[in-house]
Amino acid sequence: MDRDRRGVDRHLPLPRVEFHIVLSLVAGERHGYGIIQDIEARGETAVPDVGTMYRALARMVESGLIEAARRPGPDRDDERRNYYRLTDAGLRVARAEARRLEALTHAARVSGLLTKRAT
Amino acid sequence: MSAERLLNLSERWFRLLQRLYPPDFRDEMCPAVVETYRDRAREALNAGGIVRLAVLWMRAAADSLRNGPGERLRPAVSWRRNGNWGRDGELAIRRLLRAPALVISVVGTLTVGLGLFAVVYTVVQKILFEQMPYQDPNDLYYVWRDYGPIQDLKRGMLSGPDVAELQKAGGIVEASVGIGRQLQTFAAGDGTDATEIAVMFATPNLFDVLGVQPALGRGFAAGDVGPGRSPTIVLTHELWNRLGASPAIIGTDIRLQGQPCTVIGILPPAFTFARNEAVGPPQRADAYVTFNINLAEGNPASAFYSGLIRVRRGTSPEVVASAVNAVGRVVDERDFQGRGLKLYPVALKSDLVSGVRPALLVLGAASVLLLFVLAVNLASVLLARAAQREHEFAVSRALGANGVAIVRATLLEGGLLGLIGGVAAALAATWGTSTLMAVAPMDLPRRDAVAVDWSIGAVVVGVGLLLGLLGAAAPAVWAARVNLSSILASSAVRGGGGQGHFRRGMVVTQVALSLVLLATGGLVVRSFERLLQAAPGFRPHGLVSVRVRMPPEFVPKPADVIVLQDRVEATLAGLPGVTGVSAASALPLTSRVQAAFSPEAAAAAQSQIRFPRAPGNTGDADRDAPLVDVIGTRANYVEVMGMRLVAGRTFDRLRHEGVREALIDRALATQFFPRGNPVGAAVIFRDRPLAIVGVVEQAHLYEVHRDGRPQLYVRAEDWGYRPLFYVMRTTRDASAMIPEVRSAILRIDPHLVPGYLQTMDEVLDHATRRQHIMAVVISGFAVGALLLAAMGLFGIVSASVTRRRHELALRLAVGADHGRVLRLVLLEGAGLVAMGMLIGAPGIYIAGQLIRGVLVDVSPTDPATLLMVALGLGLVAMIACYVPARRVLGIDPALSLRME
Repeated sequence: MDRDRRGVDRHLPLPRVEFHIVLSLVAGERHGYGIIQDIEARGETAVPDVGTMYRALARMVESGLIEAARRPGPDRDDERRNYYRLTDAGLRVARAEARRLEALTHAARVSGLLTKRAT
Repeated sequence: MSAERLLNLSERWFRLLQRLYPPDFRDEMCPAVVETYRDRAREALNAGGIVRLAVLWMRAAADSLRNGPGERLRPAVSWRRNGNWGRDGELAIRRLLRAPALVISVVGTLTVGLGLFAVVYTVVQKILFEQMPYQDPNDLYYVWRDYGPIQDLKRGMLSGPDVAELQKAGGIVEASVGIGRQLQTFAAGDGTDATEIAVMFATPNLFDVLGVQPALGRGFAAGDVGPGRSPTIVLTHELWNRLGASPAIIGTDIRLQGQPCTVIGILPPAFTFARNEAVGPPQRADAYVTFNINLAEGNPASAFYSGLIRVRRGTSPEVVASAVNAVGRVVDERDFQGRGLKLYPVALKSDLVSGVRPALLVLGAASVLLLFVLAVNLASVLLARAAQREHEFAVSRALGANGVAIVRATLLEGGLLGLIGGVAAALAATWGTSTLMAVAPMDLPRRDAVAVDWSIGAVVVGVGLLLGLLGAAAPAVWAARVNLSSILASSAVRGGGGQGHFRRGMVVTQVALSLVLLATGGLVVRSFERLLQAAPGFRPHGLVSVRVRMPPEFVPKPADVIVLQDRVEATLAGLPGVTGVSAASALPLTSRVQAAFSPEAAAAAQSQIRFPRAPGNTGDADRDAPLVDVIGTRANYVEVMGMRLVAGRTFDRLRHEGVREALIDRALATQFFPRGNPVGAAVIFRDRPLAIVGVVEQAHLYEVHRDGRPQLYVRAEDWGYRPLFYVMRTTRDASAMIPEVRSAILRIDPHLVPGYLQTMDEVLDHATRRQHIMAVVISGFAVGALLLAAMGLFGIVSASVTRRRHELALRLAVGADHGRVLRLVLLEGAGLVAMGMLIGAPGIYIAGQLIRGVLVDVSPTDPATLLMVALGLGLVAMIACYVPARRVLGIDPALSLRME
């Protein structure tokens, strides 16, 4: 357990682009373009460049957070796309990162930095 | 411009930008990146037309300018930093980690197989090839005499005058040493218990000739010999350690045979020397002394010395032989009336190991064969693995990976496995060698030198690596040739992949090699069985033996010796469970011919005897005076030992004053009394007539399975033989009696020195130990090779059933029954086995010639053994085929065909 914790902590904080990638992959397998569409849908102003994202993907495969997924059925497949999915380790890191951000957000709120948006 | 055309143009732009990235990133990611950009381009075009597209083009350029060089500087994946080999190495490790079963089985096979090879290699290297630890060891020779013209003795010792003549020879013979050896009582000081040690008697130049200096004190000087000089002794490091390893011992006196003797030096710990013997294995000693006699004045007929010479550096063996021969001619003229007795040299090292060389060469050759089997096995395992990745290879080839990369990946995988296996095998061999040496015969030459060292470890790891690379070579070549079309073709049609031929060829090779190894193993085991069944000439079971020394300083008078010997015999007879006791000067299978320059050294001396007026005499004085082993025994020796009496009687307990009795063996009886009865005739021994009272079968002194030199048994009491080996026949567990025997002897007189306490079963076991170990090791090799071949067959047939499933199902569907289909599959395996056996058959013949020398009573083409080996191999092979072939019985034709 302890070792797991250390393994997770090693990855924190996740770079922005990597957090976006895990956010997308939590929902299921995605290819690169799908992830970019997800990021745009989240209303992020600075969508990462394609090259930046693929380098991040390669890095995350290397560190074991994500892995290449089997392609979906031949009818929907495009030979050239790479599909990815979250590994168990990746999921743990994503959760830890989310909790970290939540704690920060909470602190910001308590300190009055963040006012509750009027509903 | 149409949208589609714009998109294609964009794609070319994006593809161009990819050039900024390093090639390996491009190989892996380029299609996906370009596709993603194409998606974005389409999106941009839809949302904002050509302007948005232009912006995307700029962004992509900026992106690639930043990330391309960025990726080159800081690769996302660490192995990219290490170039192709590092990357492939890492990939190979990952692939292996994902296949632990493969790694365990390959490394396990290598550990055992290569480990066995390593043990044999260590033994062969250390015993046969490593230089002896002397100065210029190649210039040292032993000199022997060929007594051929007068006796049946090709390798005889030298006499004192021979050694003296060699010393005078000059020319290329720089120095000559005479060496004798004896067991003597030894006490560190007054009042300490005497023990028995082996003492080497040598001319004072021994250490100079070997080029060895004592670690402490000095060696012998010329002034240490001669009448009136006080005797000096040099101790081995081992004996010195036993005495407490005190440097102060130099200059003090110890007692040898009760006489004071000054310690002048301690030999270095690494010093190892054995005196080569005319008969039997080389002998070592615990201490060294010099002669107090003048060798040149010795009796030319008393040949008790091993002669060792040093020749001028780099002299060729032929020149040495002719120089020694010249000396031989001089002494032949002078001492043997020119009857043609020759002297001849044998190089020190080859003389030392000549007894074990044939066996070691056989083991070495067998272990090399095993290596081949291992390499073939590894190749077929890796090929099978490559075949599973056939598709992957083909796809990566089709995608542009070049053949070199695939060869590299496969070689790396094999090399890595070989390397791990090699390291494991080297470790296993370290353990295996020490285990083997623990059970190896004590008289194995260079026994103490045999251990795995760094250079041997490096060779073993190197061989492992080489095996891995060789094993990977076939699959690598095959994998590099694989292309998509052939794979598609082979999976569409029911033919096999191209690797089928490779694998079948390998199995045939494995069967052939196993056949050769099995035949060798079978013959060696058969020979060992023969050896165990061979009658040694006595019944060893239930016999205990002990050598009881009666030091002359305590029992000087021969009459007292006999009284004491009677007491020992009576005491031993009184022990519970003992049914008979006797004694002899030499025990079967332990005998060494002892040097006779001390009063009590008659042991199993060789002597020439004559049978006056015997009908078998030829008139040729040399032929009629055969050299025999003389064994002094007490009464009932023949009965206690369980020897066979052929005629007459044995020695009674009652001795008749003035009558000396003798027993002869059957060989002498047949030679000299071909028709008549020798009992009652006379034999001349040491110039005195003895009455022959009986004829016995030999109790073998030297080799278990065959008679040695002719034997003459005399009464120990008549000739004052001592020390004697007492033998007891017991109804109890023989080994349990040993402590009792020791204390019983010491109770008689603490000055008696009991030694060599052992059961005759142990003696027999020791005498057959070499053959035993060889039989175990070789059959281990053979069984290992057989199992590997069986594994190969299993894999082939199993793959064949999978591959031909469609065809077999079709056959079943059109009416063939299961038995017929099973036969079809089995026939494929049987064909391979038959081919392997055919190819291996000539190998059996070659191996047979090699092992001829180590076989006892077995012909290298022994039909029964070879037939059994062939049947055994065939049976195991067919089982290995049948088990996977049985799967065809489970084929349901309808189901299989529907699935296709």
